[in-house]
Amino acid sequence: MAIDPNVGANLHSPDMPADATHELGAAHPKPRYMFIFGVLAVLTMAEVGVAYLGLPQRILVITLVFMAMWKAGLVAMYYMHLRFEPRNLIFLVIAPLPLAFVLVLAVLTEF
Amino acid sequence: MSTPASLSMLPPVDAAPGIRVYNQKLGMWVFLLSEIMFFTSLIGSYIILRSAHPEAYPTPGSVLNIPLTAFNTFVLICSSVTMVKAFAAAEVRDARGIRVWLLATIGLGAFFLGVQAFEYWKLLGHGFGPSVAGYTAAGGPLYGSTFYTMTGFHGAHVFLGVVALCFTLFRATRGAYDHGDYGGIEVMGLYWHFVDLVWIILFTIVYLM
Amino acid sequence: MTTAVVTGPGGAVQHPVHHDEPSFVRKYIFSTDHKVIGIQFLFMSLLFLVIGGALAMLMRYQLAWPGEPLPMGLGETRAPGGIILPEFYNSLVTMHGTIMVFFAIMPLLVGVFANYLIPLQIGAPDMAFPRINMLSFWLAVPAGILIVASFFVIGGAAGAGWTAYAPLSAVSEYSGVQAGQNLWNISLIILGFSSILGALNYITTVINMRAPGMTWFRMPLPVWALFITAILILLAVPVLTGALIMLLFDNVLGTTFFLPASGGEPLLWQHLFWFFGHPEVYILILPAMGFVSEIIANGSRKPVFGYPAMVIAIASIAILGWLVWGHHMFQSGMNPMLGSIFMGTTMVIAVPSAIKVFNWLATMWKGDLHFHVPMLHAISFVALFVVGGLSGVFLASTPVDIYLHDTYFVVAHLHYVLFGGSLFGIFAAITYWYPKMFGRMMNETVNRIHWLLTFIGFNAVFFPMHMLGSAGMMRRLYDYTEYPHLEPLQETNIFMTWAAFALFAAQLLFAVNFIWCLFRGRRADPNPWNANSLEWTTPSPPPHGNFPATPVVHRGPYEYSSPDVADRDWYPQDELPRVVGAPAHAAETEVRR
Repeated sequence: MAIDPNVGANLHSPDMPADATHELGAAHPKPRYMFIFGVLAVLTMAEVGVAYLGLPQRILVITLVFMAMWKAGLVAMYYMHLRFEPRNLIFLVIAPLPLAFVLVLAVLTEF
Repeated sequence: MSTPASLSMLPPVDAAPGIRVYNQKLGMWVFLLSEIMFFTSLIGSYIILRSAHPEAYPTPGSVLNIPLTAFNTFVLICSSVTMVKAFAAAEVRDARGIRVWLLATIGLGAFFLGVQAFEYWKLLGHGFGPSVAGYTAAGGPLYGSTFYTMTGFHGAHVFLGVVALCFTLFRATRGAYDHGDYGGIEVMGLYWHFVDLVWIILFTIVYLM
Repeated sequence: MTTAVVTGPGGAVQHPVHHDEPSFVRKYIFSTDHKVIGIQFLFMSLLFLVIGGALAMLMRYQLAWPGEPLPMGLGETRAPGGIILPEFYNSLVTMHGTIMVFFAIMPLLVGVFANYLIPLQIGAPDMAFPRINMLSFWLAVPAGILIVASFFVIGGAAGAGWTAYAPLSAVSEYSGVQAGQNLWNISLIILGFSSILGALNYITTVINMRAPGMTWFRMPLPVWALFITAILILLAVPVLTGALIMLLFDNVLGTTFFLPASGGEPLLWQHLFWFFGHPEVYILILPAMGFVSEIIANGSRKPVFGYPAMVIAIASIAILGWLVWGHHMFQSGMNPMLGSIFMGTTMVIAVPSAIKVFNWLATMWKGDLHFHVPMLHAISFVALFVVGGLSGVFLASTPVDIYLHDTYFVVAHLHYVLFGGSLFGIFAAITYWYPKMFGRMMNETVNRIHWLLTFIGFNAVFFPMHMLGSAGMMRRLYDYTEYPHLEPLQETNIFMTWAAFALFAAQLLFAVNFIWCLFRGRRADPNPWNANSLEWTTPSPPPHGNFPATPVVHRGPYEYSSPDVADRDWYPQDELPRVVGAPAHAAETEVRR
């Protein structure tokens, strides 16, 4: 089945037998989605609040970057359930991040 | 699945290699990696141009409507939780749950786009446009160029997501996804959460800093 | 489908049975078969190779006899009275580069061979996403149509160079080109999307669709090279797409990303372009390195020397390739500190490149050399890549680059790598896999003549460019005879132009042989080169679904002249082990989970 070319094209996997579901389900504890949602909502409000505090620009940027990374991390880890994926996939996913930093930081030194 | 008889005739070899993620999900993740680099080029350009020309970028609040967009951010976060709820419903084979949560996600996504269109319309009315010609708002035209390109391409991604969600919902009403075949919902969800994730970063950089 | 990978190989042995014969359109035009898509890319990109070559011939004519009328007319807006206009010459330079890089070499290496070879060499029946694969080809077609159409719009084709430096490319008054630049932009955005879709397919396929026993370090080197190339495409092309979108908006929406007059930064374009552009350089050479490794092992009847080192060298070239983009911009007025860093990282790339060269030489050392046509091209690749690589080290050095930047020395360097390297690798690959693709052999004698003429013609055209560049002749220059110090170079240029015409004519020989043998070539065996990898175990051409039963892999792909096999000098990857004492008891064997 892994090699059926026609099924492979189907974005919406047509069927998934019970044993496989079980296997996946076992490796995948249910996160508390609503709790994560609450954290995201609170962080968003906190971000807006921080922006209105009138902090010096540098401290503001550091605080906001930290909070944005936190939120992005929560979405990736729990909503995209990266936390429950095989380690290889996690490596694959973080691979482009250093490139992104290299691009932006190197060019920033130019201006 | 049982091992076919033909296989037992062979000497020991490693099982079919691969990481234990099915093709569609792996493919979507790989696609999202290229999306990361695409948004890096847009967001990175914003950061670089802004640090090169701070005079073109006034404090966001003097041009943009922060409370409105903060509310819109909240809408998008809600749409993420409804999306993940649809996935959870698919995992437990709850056909009604899948449809309800998908519909909610579509509604929230469309609402987000509506608010963004309203925001653009208001901003254009205040002389804050993408082009040099007719730019009368605070800062310089560089601000308008970067703002509309970044938020516009994010909006285009949301729009494509809503279209794809409609297709997913259509298939769900035809009885898909609730027989343990939750792969389609999961892959759709990955895209949708990624779009949400990009907005989290965009909102922080463009509206709050 | 989704489960098979998760649950292991249990289902991976059953082969899909296709009873219904697909219609002509489904089989040859809107096909989802990776082999058909690869061959579609082959025909499209060979056509573009001819177009790009013809543009080069026009440029060579102008360079040999500046201001003299061409023997044929090209239209009053391009060459009134047969004399090429400067604006049209700019378009020729730009479109030659663009077409060769994006529409000929890149699809030839990746579109053709990644599609054709990856499933066959890893033992999969098709790509992971055949329909996305089809979409990838059918996005490349409109991109190609747009780029050709741009010659026929008012203002002519794009003329800002294939690098499209802003603001020249961002303001139509500067270059005199109007719609052509926008068509160029849109075409490359579409093509980029096509490349990304292809790349995600190749990556998923290599990770998840390998046959049982095909471990990472049993993969043939072309698959390794194409896999790493696909990662480069996946992460580099979106950056270009983003930059192209900004450039397009500067042109049509009146934004100001790259326009200094209203606050933009032209240097940002250069950084974004070369952040894509340097990985692109490796996209254009790594697959050819993979093909050459395969063919040299086959032609030497020896295992590839240092297989793991070859893989690590490809990977380190790919990683270092992200950290060197600034060496294209030494003269842009960039931060000198940054320039020194880029100089260092660029020089380091010579190390893995040299590892590869020495490994190829060591593979041939004391081998039972068979000089078949693919082998001749592969050896030429090694020789010419050394020349191109060494001139690259010259250019990587900032002080030397001050003198050589934007001269014909750069043109010589890039053609030694892209023509001497990539294109010889492509010829090697086409002649090597042609029997598998079409089930017929190419004419060996004609191919040998083609190889000889190409090798001599290539060196005759491009080696003198090193001298021209050192003498100070600028690239992209319409009429160098206007400069007194360059006037004495005209005779060299005339010689190069005649050599270029001969080189072009020699390619027509190849084209005729290619087409003739499609219909009249000798029938090919499944394994005409006595090679080991999996594609040679299926009929030529392979049927839909590739393998009658999923192959099971027992060893690496380069077990030539193995002491375990007495009667012949190859040992296919899927053949049962012959060593006495190997576990051959059918009842005890099973697939390890």
